[in-house]
Amino acid sequence: MSKTYGILALFDTPPAIYEAAKSVRKAGYTKWDVITPCPLHGMDGAMGITRSKVPIFTFIGGFIGFWVGMFIAWYMGAYDYPLIVNGMPYFSPIFPFPVAYEMTILLAAFGTLGGMFVTNRLPMHYHPVMNYDRFERLTDDKFAVIIEAEDALFDMQKTREFLESFGPAEVTVITDEEEAE
Amino acid sequence: MPRRPIIENGRNFAWITQKVCGIVEGRTPQWWWVAFVISCMVSSFTLMGLVYLVSTGTGVWGLRSPVMWGWAIVNFVFWIGIGHAGTLISAILCLLRQKWRTSINRAAEAMTIFAVVCAGIFPLFHVGRVWFGWWLLPIPNSNAIWPNFRSPLEWDVFAVSTYGTVSLLFWYMGLIPDLATLRDRTRMVFEKRVAEAKTGFAVGFEKAYFVFRKYFYGILAMGWRGSNRHWSNYEMAYLLLAGLATPLVLSVHTVVSFDFAVANLPGWHTTIFPPYFVAGAIFSGFGMVLTLMLPLRALFGLQDLITQYHIDCMCKICLATGSMVGYAYAMEFFIAWYGANPYEGFAFVNRAFGQYAWAYWIMISCNVITPQFFWFKWARKNLMLVWILSCFINVGMWFERFVITVSSLANDFMPSNWDYYSPTVVDIFTFFGTFGLFGVLFLLFIRFLPLLAFAEIKANSPDADVHRDSHH
Amino acid sequence: MSTSSDVMPAGVSAAGVKGPGNWSLRCLLIGIVFSLLSLFGLLFTTDASDPSRPFLGYMLAVVYWLSILIGMQFLIMLWWMFDAGWSVIIRRQFEHMISALPWLGVLLLPLVIMGLVDTQSGKVAWVWMSMDAPVAGTSGTVADDVLYLHKAPYLNNPFFLLRFFIYFAVWAGLAWAFRTWSFRMDATGDHKYVHRSRVLAAFGLFLSAMATTFASIDWFMTLNYHWFSTMFGVWYFSAAMRAALAAGVLVLFYMGSRTDGLKGIVNSAHYHFMGCLMLAFTVFWAYISFSQYFLIYNANIPEETFWYNIREMNKDGTYNSWWWISMALIFAYFLFPFLYLLWHRNKQGNRLKFIAIWILVFHFIDLYWNIMPQKLWADNEMGYDVRYFTVSWIDVTMFIGVGGIVLWSFLRSASQERPIPIRDPRIKESLNYHE
Repeated sequence: MSKTYGILALFDTPPAIYEAAKSVRKAGYTKWDVITPCPLHGMDGAMGITRSKVPIFTFIGGFIGFWVGMFIAWYMGAYDYPLIVNGMPYFSPIFPFPVAYEMTILLAAFGTLGGMFVTNRLPMHYHPVMNYDRFERLTDDKFAVIIEAEDALFDMQKTREFLESFGPAEVTVITDEEEAE
Repeated sequence: MPRRPIIENGRNFAWITQKVCGIVEGRTPQWWWVAFVISCMVSSFTLMGLVYLVSTGTGVWGLRSPVMWGWAIVNFVFWIGIGHAGTLISAILCLLRQKWRTSINRAAEAMTIFAVVCAGIFPLFHVGRVWFGWWLLPIPNSNAIWPNFRSPLEWDVFAVSTYGTVSLLFWYMGLIPDLATLRDRTRMVFEKRVAEAKTGFAVGFEKAYFVFRKYFYGILAMGWRGSNRHWSNYEMAYLLLAGLATPLVLSVHTVVSFDFAVANLPGWHTTIFPPYFVAGAIFSGFGMVLTLMLPLRALFGLQDLITQYHIDCMCKICLATGSMVGYAYAMEFFIAWYGANPYEGFAFVNRAFGQYAWAYWIMISCNVITPQFFWFKWARKNLMLVWILSCFINVGMWFERFVITVSSLANDFMPSNWDYYSPTVVDIFTFFGTFGLFGVLFLLFIRFLPLLAFAEIKANSPDADVHRDSHH
Repeated sequence: MSTSSDVMPAGVSAAGVKGPGNWSLRCLLIGIVFSLLSLFGLLFTTDASDPSRPFLGYMLAVVYWLSILIGMQFLIMLWWMFDAGWSVIIRRQFEHMISALPWLGVLLLPLVIMGLVDTQSGKVAWVWMSMDAPVAGTSGTVADDVLYLHKAPYLNNPFFLLRFFIYFAVWAGLAWAFRTWSFRMDATGDHKYVHRSRVLAAFGLFLSAMATTFASIDWFMTLNYHWFSTMFGVWYFSAAMRAALAAGVLVLFYMGSRTDGLKGIVNSAHYHFMGCLMLAFTVFWAYISFSQYFLIYNANIPEETFWYNIREMNKDGTYNSWWWISMALIFAYFLFPFLYLLWHRNKQGNRLKFIAIWILVFHFIDLYWNIMPQKLWADNEMGYDVRYFTVSWIDVTMFIGVGGIVLWSFLRSASQERPIPIRDPRIKESLNYHE
């Protein structure tokens, strides 16, 4: 037995999906999504998505990186095995600056990519929406709105009619096979 | 004055997908095999050179007092500089909202990574006993001594390895949506190709190839499904990585310039080196992008995606950065005189009129005069000419590093110490081979990964405008 | 001939900023009074321990405002070169501002004349202009100084004077051309002015880069003429860009508050992008300043390090007042604005206004730091003293005086021409600019 995941409506153009997304949000649905082959400018506003949390990860990564860079230069050059080189002090914030700087960027970059994966719950190699038989068009040139069955307002009949009212190319029920087995 | 379109002939999403994916999904063209075999053969020169170096000792390179830094550092700086255009296109132009970057950023970023690979070979192998390469890392060696953080060479280790890593992350993140498209098309491509297969062996090959593609793209795509909730985070992360890669790319060539500029050697110690090296790196990188992209554009018929507008923009960046390099040459010369230090003054006169004058004038003519052609529209439109000029830029920037490195070392403070430096055949072979290595990596990239960042191209096309209907 | 039709949006003033609130005459009056006061101070005050201090105060104020205008002119040329659309309405404000460039040449001229005429009193901070002035830190005079003799083909009065006029000819000439062409396009809508401006911008960037570089060498670097740095011209450029962006934001706020100005035209996206540019040039300034320091620190050659030494310590090795200024520059002029501008919310409204003022204040301190410290001749075992950080009354009066004249020139221009270039081919793009 397969379980219903949600109802998907397929659209051909960005303006159509944009209007549909605005209406779905207005109707009060909360567990729904829009699938597009490329980011659409203005879609975040239409869906009511708040500003991304990724910068927090970036900042934490960069902060740690800078201090790690400074710390290793101090620990290795001034604390654990001090050596006089070049007539320079064992430690000064000046000469390790390039190292600390590079470490800042390195860890901030890892933080950013990691943050993107964490906030998006990726990798997720299986997702019910991939069961849609024309899914390959959604990473090519089609656009879709999907309202999940778990949404409080979801009703097989009403939601379907609601989506059909936007004039989509097709409306389909998406099932989640694996969980049901 | 309407803006020139980034995509010509009003191509739609499906056409773009098919065009770019088709390169990877189609049969391998014959020229690819020819180019691949030639590249492999060329890269074997590097392999031979390095085997000989490691088995014999660093004496096989033409390094002797006073020129202890010769081709190895020249080649290292040259290759690192090549990489900078990739990051510039992907990061700085992203921050500046230059939408034309989307057609070329993928290939340019790949170029960055492969250039860093080629660059890394030289410092790694110049130590001779490469198995001690880990002494560069912040790990205590067998005498419990740590690396020396007061040395610019140690800063270089951090800068270049960070640069390679972050470039890879940035490149990979950009690839994820495109890999998802390739993943989703795998079955369709398989069905088409299996139907064309005539023999049982061919069918078997297609099946094996299908499995490979399914897992290769499937795993790398990380389950990307184009959810807009994902795009929101993705775009933020992309912008942040661009924001990180921009100061990174500036810092990398800055640190490379520190290798020279913190020394007291005449001709090396000058405060303008950091921005001057960065401008030179971008200049050489764009030269290389043009050298690579013009033939690829013709071979794959990408004229609608890499348009004359793109070529114009790249030519203009070459012109701008070439002029900055010219400014730096002029300032160096002026301050060398104005500073009234006899050694510094001599170093510059010697560069222009001494035993390496030939290299100096190659540098000046290729780097300062060549890009001036790009002022003219007719020159930018003549693609053969653009390609030839871009090759001159590559040559000129190699000679710039040669002039800086060798002329200062060969004629330093004590005339009794002077010498004329010549590379050995091992030097030449090793450097020559890196072009083959670069070619091999680049050809593999063309074959297996999408050459153009088509999700981004789509996002910037007029078709992606959600208000399109209300404008008309 | 390609032209634009009249795309004037409703509510754009046809005559510029006029009437109540346009204080151009008041500014002119303040400018003249305070400039004359400063000139009086320059000529007639004497301070035995540091006779050239009024000279530097006067110069500092002029080059402070000059840096803002040069930076704006660079931005105008860069926008032309990039064919930028978003910035068109901002470009017009900068075109008003750069009308003051020739006046700054007039204001700076007394210093040059003083240098040519007054070789005895020691009031001229360009020590190399007086052959029998003692060279601090040595026992000889300028005329016996081998370093001066080597540099004499560059550092001599006639050439110096010639260069002074060339610099201002370049800046004022470019300002005249960009302004005239842009205003003519308002009237005729003829796009040939766009093409002309773009061509001129290409040459102008080169000319102005050279003029700015050598002006900073002539006026600031030669104050300690033993010292040299190839990066110095780039430092002045980067500082000028920061100042221009900060001042540009304030100009936008002023114009945006007036119904006959940019009210309802300038939007949050314009401010946001200006904020982004402020962030970028904050980093660029830090990069240039840090690289110069870092290379000289690491190479540790006395012929260069003395310049930083006098900005850090007294001759006995104790910290002097410049050390605190140095720290302020690192933390308050780089680190704080950098972190502050990273947050997108800080690139709007009063928060942006705050950081623009902050940057303009610290820009002044940055100029103090780069220009003011000088080895002063002293009759003791080390042979020199360092001029410490002080704010003299001439610094303040001249700042107000030059500022009055710059603002007068701006307001006068703004009252004569439209607040936006209504027939620019990119004007719609700029008006509809959004994030």
